[in-house]
Amino acid sequence: MGVRSPFQAELDQLEASLQEEGALVLRVLRGALNALAQRDVELADDVIAFDDDVDRRYLQIEEGIEHLLALQTPVATDLRLVLAMLHTNLHLERMADYGVTVAKLTKLVADVEPDPLLLQSLQDMGERAEEMIRVALDAFANRDLEAAESLVELDELIDRSNRRFVDRVVEIVGEPGMREWALRMVVVSRTLERIGDHAVDIGEQVAYLLTAEFREFTDASHMG
Amino acid sequence: MSQGVTMPPMRPVDLAVRQEAEPQTGETVFDIQGLQASYGSNVAIKGVDLEIYGNVITAVIGPSGCGKSTFIRCLNRMNDEVPSFGHEGTILYHGVDLYGDGVEPVEVRRRIGMVFQKANPFPKTIYDNVAWAPRVLGLKKDLDERVEKALQSAALWDEVKDRLKRSALSLSGGQQQRLCIARAIAIEPEVLLLDEPASALDPIATQRIEELMQNLKQDYTIVIVTHNMQQAARVADRTAFFSIDSDENGRYGVLVEYDQTPKIFTAPSDKRTEDYVTGRFG
Repeated sequence: MGVRSPFQAELDQLEASLQEEGALVLRVLRGALNALAQRDVELADDVIAFDDDVDRRYLQIEEGIEHLLALQTPVATDLRLVLAMLHTNLHLERMADYGVTVAKLTKLVADVEPDPLLLQSLQDMGERAEEMIRVALDAFANRDLEAAESLVELDELIDRSNRRFVDRVVEIVGEPGMREWALRMVVVSRTLERIGDHAVDIGEQVAYLLTAEFREFTDASHMG
Repeated sequence: MSQGVTMPPMRPVDLAVRQEAEPQTGETVFDIQGLQASYGSNVAIKGVDLEIYGNVITAVIGPSGCGKSTFIRCLNRMNDEVPSFGHEGTILYHGVDLYGDGVEPVEVRRRIGMVFQKANPFPKTIYDNVAWAPRVLGLKKDLDERVEKALQSAALWDEVKDRLKRSALSLSGGQQQRLCIARAIAIEPEVLLLDEPASALDPIATQRIEELMQNLKQDYTIVIVTHNMQQAARVADRTAFFSIDSDENGRYGVLVEYDQTPKIFTAPSDKRTEDYVTGRFG
């Protein structure tokens, strides 16, 4: 060590920034879920505005990585770490965008009395999505391959909830006054399910970092 | 061809004939087994096993003192000139023991040329530098053509064609190094050994040498020793990483890892390689 300590410091700094970005994403998602549950338009606006913080963090990490690649030409594990951070940064930013989508949809149906069962099911999915983000970030920080791979099972749960949600919506969509709410909530459900997919993608980056081999944990195009 | 060649015939020496033949890329050119090289009682490298393949660029990297220069100097018996030099193990060149009985060092160097860190043109004209080795070897037929071809292969012809009779020392450092490459290839060796060929050159001259190597590998097997890891990453197909080990008798160089260059620079198998290429050691 020592020879390239400024380089190591830059790497550490970037990784810390990435974890902070992850914490911001969790705040966006939590805010969006609370706004949805409480039909709180003001909170939904806060969430939408807060996404700018995530975007700033995203850009700062992107520039840091560009700087590292240009000046330090990282190789081996360092290169894999930089590439994994580059991808993870993008996945986190996308997750925050999904949080914003939930907030915007919340505003559109704020005056409709929601179906309590469906609302609870969205809250459950949201909590699963939060859990997956935490597992992905911790797996990255702890270089934990097993935890990264466990995201596949968590994702299966959230996928299943999404399918059940859609089935229930099909039942109530004919009820007067529920149609718009139900259709918009299908998008929310799908959005939460996508957050889970991005968490799995981060898990794949962790596996790449640790094994030097990129593989998709599950292949969506070949699933039954 | 020079007199007294006792080296068994292995493959056509003449480049034109070689180019006619089937491409030999991937063929084992050097098969090195248990190589140990010493200067007096100091062991420079120990236990080196590796195969060097034809028409690819093989880079040898490692920290100072790991024996990488000693290693490539073994490949054309350049170390023979060092009185205290001794070796164990074998270096097979196309299956022939390079240090075997009856193998002439001169013939070895005819087939395995070398270019050094510091450009070392003779204090003669540009033309005479390139024509020198062919003349010595009696390859006097079509000498002008041979000189032009070598200078063209070394990507120097356009810069010197109007001043062939001027002193080689009038050339820039980068041009002098390409002249040395032209001088080495004027006798159409099969292998080119390059010992830090660009370490004294500026980035543009370095880039020209690197481009030149890419072109030359069509016809030559190239082994390059370099301190510059990014240079190895840019130019080499395969990379050998040497490091330093020690025992009660002192420090000596060992081959740690030898693989495809992308593997060495993205996912090396050995922790010592990882530490070296990421700059955490050496």
